[in-house]
Amino acid sequence: MPRVNEKVSYWMLVLPALAIMVCFYILPVLGIWEIAFTEPETGVGNFVKMAGSNAVKTSFVITFRVAAITTVGCLILGYIVAYAISNFATRLTPLMVALVILPFWVSVLIRSFSWIVLLGRSGLVNDALMHAELIERPLRLMHNELGVLIAMIHVMLPFAVLPMLTNMRGISGVYVQAARSLGASEWTSFRQVYFPQTMPGVLSGALLVFVLSLGFFVTPALLGGGRVLMISEYITYQIQEFLNWGLGSALSVVLLVATALVLLIAARFVNLRATLLERK
Amino acid sequence: MTDTTDFEAKRDIAEIAVERYKQGRLTRRGFIAAMGALGVLPAFGHRAMAQTKEIIVVNWGGTAKDVLQEVLCDTYTAETGIKVTVDGSGPSAGKIRAMVESGAVVWDLCDSGAGSAIILEQQGMTEAIDYSIVDKSKVLEGTAYNNGVGNYVYSYVLATNPQLLGGNIPQTWEDVWNVKDFPGMRTFRKSVRGQLESATQARGVPLAEVYDALSTEDGIKASIAKFRELRENIIVWGSGSDSQNLFLQEEVAIGNIWSTRAHLLKDQMEEGTFNVSFNGGVIAPGIWVVPKGNPAGKDEVMKFIAHGQKPELQVQWLEKIGSGPINPAAAELVPAELAPYNPSSPQNLAMQILYNDEWYAKNQVSAEELYVDALIN
Repeated sequence: MPRVNEKVSYWMLVLPALAIMVCFYILPVLGIWEIAFTEPETGVGNFVKMAGSNAVKTSFVITFRVAAITTVGCLILGYIVAYAISNFATRLTPLMVALVILPFWVSVLIRSFSWIVLLGRSGLVNDALMHAELIERPLRLMHNELGVLIAMIHVMLPFAVLPMLTNMRGISGVYVQAARSLGASEWTSFRQVYFPQTMPGVLSGALLVFVLSLGFFVTPALLGGGRVLMISEYITYQIQEFLNWGLGSALSVVLLVATALVLLIAARFVNLRATLLERK
Repeated sequence: MTDTTDFEAKRDIAEIAVERYKQGRLTRRGFIAAMGALGVLPAFGHRAMAQTKEIIVVNWGGTAKDVLQEVLCDTYTAETGIKVTVDGSGPSAGKIRAMVESGAVVWDLCDSGAGSAIILEQQGMTEAIDYSIVDKSKVLEGTAYNNGVGNYVYSYVLATNPQLLGGNIPQTWEDVWNVKDFPGMRTFRKSVRGQLESATQARGVPLAEVYDALSTEDGIKASIAKFRELRENIIVWGSGSDSQNLFLQEEVAIGNIWSTRAHLLKDQMEEGTFNVSFNGGVIAPGIWVVPKGNPAGKDEVMKFIAHGQKPELQVQWLEKIGSGPINPAAAELVPAELAPYNPSSPQNLAMQILYNDEWYAKNQVSAEELYVDALIN
């Protein structure tokens, strides 16, 4: 009996957060599902329409492609940053961590607008290159997928760095030292001893960035020039331009299901439980 | 029939007025007059008999609404004793219908669009315009409906930056599609409104036959295909300010934008970096509608509408905000330097086609789908 009571008291602690999730997330999501199947008429009409639309298919392809490239970009850059912070920096460590977190203090909207200032046709980057006479005419750095990717990698980078950093800082240096003392080269000891230990951090960073990128809206909308139409923007378009709540909701249902599928597939290849829950 | 009223365009015009007002380009008096002419405010009328009544005019809101209330309505009240209130809550056809059906009509005059006006008339939700009070000859031909009458116009125009184009400006929409001779980015609206007409002309269809050419599915697809062809050179604009920014930041050299935004750009861009042509443009009217059983009475509202048709008011509207007079006679009063920017001047009218709400009601939704597909797929 005391055990049960203990369990109950734990649940009591979780209750406020749970209540907020149920009221402000789960219920509205169910409402969206309902709209998807009932407007303008009951049935799967919205989904049939969606499946028949090339624009929707392309938008899904763009969404997943942008999310995937962003994830890879963030992992590569983030890994280097996390590695440097956890293995080399000493007195500078707090400062470097602060620099990683700093962008969170500025809204995504402002950061995206800043990229417009930088990447525009007569933006800072193009102007500098033109004055240095490295290029003759301005490069097209935004209003295309390149611009979206640059800005998204920037926005998502902290989400990749932080999990990897936590993971790497928990790795004891003695393993690499042992490998080195046994004659392994620096590269071999990194690849065979250090890198495998960082996989949980890499995977949780990857999942975080990928899932967040799938639903990302602001940056693609501002820097895509209308041609990098990700699903979230397509949903806005359906609802705001056509008041088409049915199709818009159906799109979001599919995005949610697709994201869940990605997680399921990922779970087949990596141990998600170990990655996300039992990280040492 | 789908409602084809372009609510975004309406909000945009109100937004522009506020911008001008803040910049100090518009005096209070001018602002009031312009907004009155725009139809955001009621025209002045005398209501000697109904001193206690209140007139409610409904527009599309934003900061404009507050400024209007303070500047126009309160002063009007001071002059005549009649209280006038601007409601900026956006008189969509749906809201007007709900109001009339519930029997609790509180709006007297609504700034609507041709699409809404036609639907509302079919549903019996609006009063007929009394053309013995409102002068049919004082509005652009084609904008006098049974239950709605034009109150201002704006156009989709061909805007260019001659400097970026090396002085070689495209004169027609066919030129716009000629990337070889006119290199540079183009901007089109993130909607087919006023854009598909350009693509259709780029196919070689004469202006007058544009909507005929778009009357079949094949015709629509052929025009959409023109966008697919050009898409590597296209950046789309979502809001009016988007289109303005694209020109200001020199992101685009050519664009199909609202004449109201072009009106702002001509002052903001340096000499020789901005040009506007109405050639092959699409002219769209705003439409007054009066909800059935409006509280102030039908006749009173008709007098307001008639007053708003006066050329001298209409001209101020172009001067201050950039939207065109619905009354073509106002063109004579337009200062010479503004004449090229007047959507409803005789010269510019001759080069444009009237926005076809019936076509949009029938085809817009499917065309939008194809348009998005052409741009991204």
